[in-house]
Amino acid sequence: MSRYFLIAVVSIVLIVIQTTVVSLISLEGITPDVLAIWVVYLALREGQMRGTVIGFAVGLVFDLATGSFIGLSALTKTICGFMAGYFYDENKTKLILGSYRFLLIMMMSSFVHNVLYFILFTRGTEIGLLGAVFQFGFTTTLYTSALALIPLFVYSRTSGA
Amino acid sequence: MQRLYTIIRLFKEYVVLTLLLLISIVLLSLNDNRQLHAVRSYTVAFLGVFQDAISVFPNIFELKRENQLLRQLNVSLSDEVSRLRASRLENMRLRGLLGMKEQSRLPLVAADVIGKSMYLLRNTITLDIGEANGVKPDMPIISESGLVGKVVAVSSHYAIGQILLNKDFRASAKVLRNSIDGIVGWNGGDLIRLRNIAKKQDVREGDLVVTSDYSNIFPRNIKIGTISRITERPGSLMKEVDVTPAVEFATLEQVFVVLTTPGAERTALEQKSSGGN
Repeated sequence: MSRYFLIAVVSIVLIVIQTTVVSLISLEGITPDVLAIWVVYLALREGQMRGTVIGFAVGLVFDLATGSFIGLSALTKTICGFMAGYFYDENKTKLILGSYRFLLIMMMSSFVHNVLYFILFTRGTEIGLLGAVFQFGFTTTLYTSALALIPLFVYSRTSGA
Repeated sequence: MQRLYTIIRLFKEYVVLTLLLLISIVLLSLNDNRQLHAVRSYTVAFLGVFQDAISVFPNIFELKRENQLLRQLNVSLSDEVSRLRASRLENMRLRGLLGMKEQSRLPLVAADVIGKSMYLLRNTITLDIGEANGVKPDMPIISESGLVGKVVAVSSHYAIGQILLNKDFRASAKVLRNSIDGIVGWNGGDLIRLRNIAKKQDVREGDLVVTSDYSNIFPRNIKIGTISRITERPGSLMKEVDVTPAVEFATLEQVFVVLTTPGAERTALEQKSSGGN
């Protein structure tokens, strides 16, 4: 029970960080997605089912916090959690989370998340499909993956993986 | 029944995924729902407290640019102030000659921008004022440079503003030089687009675009921006008119909320009229 409480608390803290601190390190309007990193991490640690549910919950709270397009982050983060959870292996959790595999899974899940998000979000604007995929989806994935190196290094050092 | 249960258990991950995706899609279709607005205002109140505390830290990448912009703005504002002083005196004299009354000033309340959500193109700002200060949804937000956007969600002490560079933002606008009307909306980049401008209409680069008299939300003649690019595509009856916003959103720190709400009678009549067509 306490573990779920801790996950909820950390999720809320990260949502606050995402909506406040992270915009301070935006580059040309592109910001890393701390929440996607958290969802991928949990999916690899807790399994596909929990990763999917946590992705949905985190995305929904974020949608409510930012005030528009409620349901879009919930939808894309659900898929992100589901995708990352596909690589969950009970016996190799430490190995996956503390190695380059985490980064690869992160990049893949984040890319699918971002591409889907921006394609849906930019409908009705002048941003075309290619713009949504490359200008926003790809760059956000790169920035997010770069930031994911921090938890990767921290985890590999502390867990002894 | 037992078999169905076994199948669900076997594919529980996929069942949960489908269920959550369905809920997300339903939520997407319910975006203007009143209950969702209520839930949203609680979230705004909760996050506003943290954003308020963190708003003292600047964006390290924007600081240099912000300084430069502020210096430029200072110079141009000083110049504009001296010209406006002269214009005001002349205006007062002419109004006196015509026997016209002084135009009423807008009821404004000042606010600090305590959060900017430029994350994933959401493009909203959080203000440190809310219902307690008389702020309501759909109230216009302006700055000394021009139109910033409008309020979309409020809690007791915080408000979320949708800026011009937001996918859902629209405003009735006109070219100040010759009062050609159009509608401005975000073009997906750093510019906004003035729509519904026919090829035969006279618009030029450098023309000032302001809010029009037709807007039910925004006061008229608020500066929106300057026309920076005009594209004419063969086969289209309309011009693509791109406008550079007057407001520099990256460095926006203080704004004013105009304490006016759309006229309920006018909105109801317009909705009734458009529904009947």
